[in-house]
Amino acid sequence: MAKEMVAMLLAGGQGSRLYALTEKLAKPAVPFGGKYRIIDFPLSNCVNSGIDTVGILTQYQPLVLNEYIGNGQPWDLDRSQGGVHVLPPYQQASGSDWYKGTANAIYQNISFIERYNPQYVIILSGDQICKQDYSDFLKFHKEKDAEFSVAVREVPWEEASRFGLMVADENDKITEFQEKPKEPKSNLASMGIYIFNWDVLKKYLIEDEADPESENDFGNNIIPNLLRDNRRMYAYHFNGYWKDVGTIPSLWEANMEVLDPEHSGINLFDDDWKVYSRNSGMTGHRISGDAVIENSMITDGCRIEGNVKHSILFAGVRVEKGAEVEDAVVMGGTTIKAGAVVKHCIVAENVIIGENAVVGAMPEDSENGVATIGFGVYVGDNAKIGPNAMVNNNVKDGEEEW
Amino acid sequence: MVNSNSDALGIIFPNSYDALVPELVSERLMASIPFASRYRLVDFVLSSMVNCGIDNISLIVRKNYHSLMDHLGSGREWDLVRKNGGLNIVPPFANRHVKVYNGRVEALASILHFMRAQKQKYVIMSDANIAMNFDFGALIKAHMKSEADVTLVYREEETPASLVANRESTESMYYTFDIDESGRVTKIKTNSADAGVQNQYMSIAIIEREKLIDMITDGHIQGLIYLERDILANRLEDIRVSAYKYEGYAARITDVQSYFRENMKMLDEENLDALFSGPIYTKIRDDNPTRYIAGAKVSNTMAADGCVIEGEVENSVLFRGVKIAKGAKVKNCVLMQDTVVGEGANLEYMITDKNVTITANKELRGSDSFPVYVMKKQTV
Repeated sequence: MAKEMVAMLLAGGQGSRLYALTEKLAKPAVPFGGKYRIIDFPLSNCVNSGIDTVGILTQYQPLVLNEYIGNGQPWDLDRSQGGVHVLPPYQQASGSDWYKGTANAIYQNISFIERYNPQYVIILSGDQICKQDYSDFLKFHKEKDAEFSVAVREVPWEEASRFGLMVADENDKITEFQEKPKEPKSNLASMGIYIFNWDVLKKYLIEDEADPESENDFGNNIIPNLLRDNRRMYAYHFNGYWKDVGTIPSLWEANMEVLDPEHSGINLFDDDWKVYSRNSGMTGHRISGDAVIENSMITDGCRIEGNVKHSILFAGVRVEKGAEVEDAVVMGGTTIKAGAVVKHCIVAENVIIGENAVVGAMPEDSENGVATIGFGVYVGDNAKIGPNAMVNNNVKDGEEEW
Repeated sequence: MVNSNSDALGIIFPNSYDALVPELVSERLMASIPFASRYRLVDFVLSSMVNCGIDNISLIVRKNYHSLMDHLGSGREWDLVRKNGGLNIVPPFANRHVKVYNGRVEALASILHFMRAQKQKYVIMSDANIAMNFDFGALIKAHMKSEADVTLVYREEETPASLVANRESTESMYYTFDIDESGRVTKIKTNSADAGVQNQYMSIAIIEREKLIDMITDGHIQGLIYLERDILANRLEDIRVSAYKYEGYAARITDVQSYFRENMKMLDEENLDALFSGPIYTKIRDDNPTRYIAGAKVSNTMAADGCVIEGEVENSVLFRGVKIAKGAKVKNCVLMQDTVVGEGANLEYMITDKNVTITANKELRGSDSFPVYVMKKQTV
């Protein structure tokens, strides 16, 4: 059955700048905001925008992601026509290859897209926190009679040289593309979200694949080639909340912004634009008589006896008596034992922080590191983890790590 | 056995004991009463069955079952979307000859065709008025070992006062047993007023499917209504009835007071852990995590996802999506889904049903022995 638009979600990235958090899982599977994973945002956007056919391109550490996506039911993407499909690289008669680049990942799945005979394909990125209505983007694409549209947002001029920039005229027609230029001519940064007319995309993917010099990348190859050929290319302005959570500080910051929806613009409490996720199924959380909770988000299954301030606690976190948690992102199933102090840090899933251990510290002067504890790590009693530490292995009782 | 499935069919009577809690069931039935911050009573018996590999479960509803249908949907959350078996909701089949059932004989008579077509050897019957994590696997084993025709589950407790108070009515029948040393039931007493600890029937029974079909066919022809009162109690000589004692945690809802008390007991972690010893499934609402805004003060409270709390909460159970505004005080309360407590309101010993709104600065107070209940969708 033909679909007007199919979404292809790039979820194969390693996210190497998240270090300990992405050692065993792909970046889109990294937990976020109390009960979500990053990929819940693009998937929920798809469903809320009326897109019911999504291909998820996986490559790096896909197990957690595969299990999480399952049949797509939590996002209402378990459809008899379309629905969600996880697409790892596969062997073909002509040989087999890993996804060499973003464009190559789509190239290798041309036959998947063809099954739905779409007019348009939207390319999404699995490592951004963003609530966006893709149907509005498609409307723009149609109104401009574009062959290619890219979602852009305005960034401060002084930061512009860190981004891929679109130079556009007063009609939003793109005239030039600058990848991380020293002298930016525009402050419209590409969000890495594209809508293509499928016939155009297919043609350029096939051409790109035939070019042995190509890196098979959308930003470096496909977009410059479209420009070279004077294709109808337009920039779609997006003003909503958007965050690339590719680094530890940005991931931490985005989580903290969830605590302040009135100012940050990331409102998870929006009944008209729900973010769906696979639920823990745990019972309601318990706040004991000794606990003090301030300005925090607490998820089902938590048991709190200590002090929690300006923090996000995922499902099933335990904070024992006398423990102090502040400015922290504590992921599911982690236990913070009595008297431990956990501050200004990210603690991954199923970690145990021993009694009276100290993890991270509130920023002082120029010292504002976000300590990070990897999945399943055991931090011993009285151990000390410095504010810039990245802990991947167990820390023995009383030991220090900086 | 190759798979983990139990050789038993589950049958649940979701309307049983509705009459004891008229307030709570004005727009629903016993099985869909919200309990323990994010569940409905039916979740406990349903999840217990599923956890024991029972995957063919019928609910024979009587009336007011829209909320239950909405809650259960296709049964996906309980993993009961199955090609063989799965979840089966049986509404009353109204025609000139059929009336809404009163007892189990009448209820089961309406599904005799269905029961004949099933393959499971046993049938397990249960009501939905008790929240517990019941090991049906152990019951099946005990029943097989006992060689009894029927095994009835009981626990030792005094008969709740609200049951005794209604003993002259047939609406909420209850049963107590005499049991001999071998564990055989020698006497079944209906609506007994005996004081002290009794062997209190928990309305859970297991019987071979073929035997049940025969029993119901014969009983129905004779115009019998209640399985326990009209068949088992009268035929203890020729039907071998065995008793199975339950010693785990059980929260039985017999009136509004016990509803309040049993919710409050969830604030004790020992009780919470006992009730949730195995996973209990429920309908997913996709709420966000609960948000405590600066100024919130919370102690000894259980809250589900989706709440926004700016005021003070103490000794309370909050269901999903409860909002408590700035300066509001909530103490010793059970607030069901999407209750909104306005600024400066002061609540003590209150039960608010779903979607209740308490406007700003209202003072509402019940007492320990008599919590005040506010009906669904009301604005105070």
